[in-house]
Amino acid sequence: MGAILRETYFIYRRNLKTWIGVPANVISPLFISALLFVMFGSMFERTISLGGFGTDDYQAFLVAWIIVQVVVFSGTDSGFSLLMDIMSGYFDKLLLAPINRFSILFGTLMVSGTRALLQALVVVGLALAMGVHFETGVLGILAMLALAVVFGLVWSCLGIMIALKTKNAQATQTAGLLFFPFIFLTTAFMPEDQLTGWFKVAVKINPVTYVMEAMRAMTLDGWDWPTILTGVWVAVLMMTVLLALTTWMYRRQTA
Amino acid sequence: MSNEYIIQVEDLVKIYPGDVKALSGIDFSVGRGEFFGFLGPNGAGKSTTIKILSTLLRKTSGKVSVAGLDLDESASSMGVRRAIGFAMQEVGLDDLSSGMDFLVTQGLLYKLGRREAKNRAEELLDLVGLTDVSGRKVGTYSGGMRRRIDLAGALVHRPEILFLDEPTTGLDPQSRLAIWDHLNELHSQGTTILLTTQMMDEADQLCERLAIIDNGRIVAEGAPKTLKDEMGDDVVRIMLASSGGHDGGGHDRSASEELYEKALSLTSGQSYVSGSSLDEDGLVVNVRDGDASAPALLKLLIENDMEVARLAVSRPTLDDVFLKHTGRTIRQDNADGDAYDQTFRRTMGVGKGR
Repeated sequence: MGAILRETYFIYRRNLKTWIGVPANVISPLFISALLFVMFGSMFERTISLGGFGTDDYQAFLVAWIIVQVVVFSGTDSGFSLLMDIMSGYFDKLLLAPINRFSILFGTLMVSGTRALLQALVVVGLALAMGVHFETGVLGILAMLALAVVFGLVWSCLGIMIALKTKNAQATQTAGLLFFPFIFLTTAFMPEDQLTGWFKVAVKINPVTYVMEAMRAMTLDGWDWPTILTGVWVAVLMMTVLLALTTWMYRRQTA
Repeated sequence: MSNEYIIQVEDLVKIYPGDVKALSGIDFSVGRGEFFGFLGPNGAGKSTTIKILSTLLRKTSGKVSVAGLDLDESASSMGVRRAIGFAMQEVGLDDLSSGMDFLVTQGLLYKLGRREAKNRAEELLDLVGLTDVSGRKVGTYSGGMRRRIDLAGALVHRPEILFLDEPTTGLDPQSRLAIWDHLNELHSQGTTILLTTQMMDEADQLCERLAIIDNGRIVAEGAPKTLKDEMGDDVVRIMLASSGGHDGGGHDRSASEELYEKALSLTSGQSYVSGSSLDEDGLVVNVRDGDASAPALLKLLIENDMEVARLAVSRPTLDDVFLKHTGRTIRQDNADGDAYDQTFRRTMGVGKGR
């Protein structure tokens, strides 16, 4: 047990270095987050007058969505980085080492978690700088970050599975486009009360909505436990299922 | 299983999804401390074999034991991986790490302590002559440097067995020789080496024993010399100088027909000559051992007042061996895999047969 932790840590350290070693990897998503924040914040600012947002600050309303989109979109990065190692042959080199082969997967996933944490942290920092008030305070912010990590792992697992299945870099990157509906078919820009028809149905089916609503509750309303727990439950359930699937798929390909 | 063989393979079969048969039942064994080579063209099954032996690929059927461990027992995988080092064809390097970091990580993964890993990395960087560039990212290394760092990475845990998949393919001659030196050194220290190559001279120079592999089958096996000897005699070609006159480097037969007839009868009477004949270039003498017979032939002719303008010894090459067993030369095969080489060969009109 100690061995696999040690090995996972070495892989984690190496993968983290590889990720940070290319500044564009870090800067691009942050830039996009900031851009989306400012852009949508201004674009839809006046919709707040429609009512039902639970706040007067549209940017505060947006925070949860910005966090969710950044962790969802970075899911393909995990698959992509694993794929780069597979293609370069470094993955084989790791498979040759006398280590538990799951440590390679876990090390990769830990980097995904770290990445989600850092990205969410930056969004929170950005929001604070823009004067957004977090109703649940520091504790709430920490809870939101934790939720972002759990939810980030969900999408990293998907990215890794796509990478393992296709073994193709382009396919893995393009697959990120499939995440679009999950991100946009939500209460991203409008509260549920303002939505109608098929869109409203889709939003209700989309699990992403619930995770986002939990974060939004913590930002705008305070400790609204039913909403928060629903989001947490959805995220943890998805993570458990996808981790199991990814591990199973990984095992089939490497053991 | 006997202890003298560190690798034993029996009836190994690998079928890839889609019914692609990569190995159709191969048998071979490698002795402890032996330098063993797999020679064959692209797609012959060399890499597949070495990947199965190193636990990277699962076999379809057959028996494989490496370092005394049976690959069928799931518990052996870890032990095999501990016993082997593997330098790969498409060097699996970590381009974004520095040479030093790459080796340290490699050491840590092979259970060295942090300080030990650092020391070992320094030692290996020194061994392969990369100390000066140890802080640079591996991605900036030249082809030869990449192979060397890769080799160093495979050695962190001082493996009993070293696998090398085409370690010098695509390298310039100097880098190739550097790698060869390292391999000879390791071999002399007792490491068992299994190498794949598609280069005749590499197999010939380095390996004590070879398996020639083609289309997933071993078509010939033995020491390079034995394999070549089986091909038949060496050939000594002799061109005589015209009596009295000097002969430059011209390829025409300048000596008289009469002189050649005399040389022919002289040589064919020797016990070590298995046959001799004349062709448009001169005298052709078949002997068992060309190197040993050439001086004797030279002496014989000179003692009989004949002046020798040229003498060349040629012996069967591994290319001839490959040709005999497969009906093709390995070079023709590989030309398909290398566009530059192919164009070059076509333009220059080389590489057709010997």
